[in-house]
Amino acid sequence: MLRIFSRRNVVAAGLVFFAVLPFVANPYVIFIGNLALMYILLSVGLNMLLGYAGQLAFAHAALFGVGAYTTGLLKLEFDLHYGLALVAGVVLATVTGVAVAMPALRLRGLYLALATVAFAQATLWVFMHWNSVTYGGAGFRVPPLDFEPFTARPDIGVYVLSYLIVLAGIPLGWNLLRSRVGRAWVAIRESEVAAESLGIDITRYKTIAYAVSAMYAGAAGGLFAGMLGIVTPESFDLFQVIVHFCMVIVGGLGSIWGGVLGAVGLVYLQEVLRAFRHLQEIAFGGLILFTVLVIPGGAVSLLKRYVPGWKEPLRRTEHDK
Amino acid sequence: MFAYLIASGISTGALYAMVAIGLVLVYRSTGHINFSHGELFMFGGFIAYTFFVILGAPYFLSLIVAVIGGFALGVLCDRTVYRPLIKAPALTMVLATVGFSFLIKGVARFFWGAREGGDYVAFPAAVDPTPIPIGGIMVFPQQLLVLGGAFFFVVVFTIFFRRTRWGKMMQATAENATAAFLSGIRVERVYTMTWGTGACIASAAAVLMAPLTLLSPDVGFNLLLRAFAATVLGGLGSMPGAIIGGFLVGIIESLAGGYIHTGLQEVSAFIIIIVVLVFRPAGLFGIRKLRET
Repeated sequence: MLRIFSRRNVVAAGLVFFAVLPFVANPYVIFIGNLALMYILLSVGLNMLLGYAGQLAFAHAALFGVGAYTTGLLKLEFDLHYGLALVAGVVLATVTGVAVAMPALRLRGLYLALATVAFAQATLWVFMHWNSVTYGGAGFRVPPLDFEPFTARPDIGVYVLSYLIVLAGIPLGWNLLRSRVGRAWVAIRESEVAAESLGIDITRYKTIAYAVSAMYAGAAGGLFAGMLGIVTPESFDLFQVIVHFCMVIVGGLGSIWGGVLGAVGLVYLQEVLRAFRHLQEIAFGGLILFTVLVIPGGAVSLLKRYVPGWKEPLRRTEHDK
Repeated sequence: MFAYLIASGISTGALYAMVAIGLVLVYRSTGHINFSHGELFMFGGFIAYTFFVILGAPYFLSLIVAVIGGFALGVLCDRTVYRPLIKAPALTMVLATVGFSFLIKGVARFFWGAREGGDYVAFPAAVDPTPIPIGGIMVFPQQLLVLGGAFFFVVVFTIFFRRTRWGKMMQATAENATAAFLSGIRVERVYTMTWGTGACIASAAAVLMAPLTLLSPDVGFNLLLRAFAATVLGGLGSMPGAIIGGFLVGIIESLAGGYIHTGLQEVSAFIIIIVVLVFRPAGLFGIRKLRET
């Protein structure tokens, strides 16, 4: 009976749902759908770093911001084609991610958390104060998008682009995790010493983890700049990290599909509470706490237990549940 | 100019030191960093605001109420976050305290935030706000009060920590929880006490600070980062290090803001954290080796 809710069916239904949405829905619903697609990218990227490689880094929103700022500014100042600006955003975010990885490789656990929190705040400060480039605290408007050689309404264009990127991004992540790289990350998460003694090049695989997760964050940032049409520093503050964390944790740390579920589910919650900052904080903070305390494996752990067809490779070990 | 910057650096540094003490206290006995410590600080400030401004109670009474309220909140944090996760990995604990911090922040914003003109509320000065000249520089009486208050709390805390039974039990637990447990110390109660004490010093700091700046639900995170910088600079886990680190962060911030660029005042704490962690992770007075957490 529950078999119809197996992962394959749910994913297929999701694909169809998101493919049909732009044809039937009004612009506001399309916007929310687009946000959901963007958050899927963010949560897949963060899950690799946090859930699989076990690196407690708070820099994700800052990298997301780097992607958004690069894309938006290139479009605004040089009128670059949106696609090219997006690629540039991804590249710069990835480079920044690797730059974060350099010092971060030396740090572990709490020290890493502290250093990346400081990095995130410093990046936010740059967005706020580098007035000549980032337009300071008020942010800037991104000019209307073009999708040469295609003609599309801007919001549908961004939506289709997001859909295609997600369509490429999830299988990329899924396959990466089932490859040598993913196994190395899990080994590093479980024990660095043991991983090293197995001949895993820790520096290399950690750097890859930072680079790949930054790449996803950068792509999401570029899409964010395109779909919102306005880039301001507040979009990339600590609360944004909390939203990302919450999606990954509530969905399931160390499960790509869990993160995807978390992203889709919580986008709606965030949209409902859009006008109430305090309720958003209570909801997202409370959800993180609740999940960590009550269902440490997140929503996907319940699915794995009760619904057939949700098994994944590289599950968390027993004691983590 | 220089003397003025140093003076204001010392008075803010005293506050950072107070917040850092709580952070180190909890870190030493539990091995975890409380990411909601800044929000405990902020909440204490708002409790005092409620009594002092809204209900019109005397400043001193508000301070005491805030300290008691802070203690209660610290205990709540211990019961809801730390105790259930005592065996969980460090990563889980950080995520849980981060979640808790946003929960408290949202609650504070619900009660005291989002007034007309933003989330900031003014906390009137407890003492006469006209500056008085001391040795050629103008000093706000509130700054002296902050310095005196911080000194008072640090001394009281040191006596409590070194001389009283509870303080000694805390030290023993921090040193070796298993041995402490075997010698009959109720380690769990000590943990509760530790979280409570840390939060109550933070609350006291918030009440001292509030008249100098404005109070807002977002103030906690800024203070938390300053306290991080102080503890990291002094060596994570070192109590004297945290106090000296607090003063150093205050002075560095003030000098950087005064001589180089005003904007640098905000960002210097982050730079301190990154530079120290990358180049000298043990801090200036690091007594412990790098812990793998």
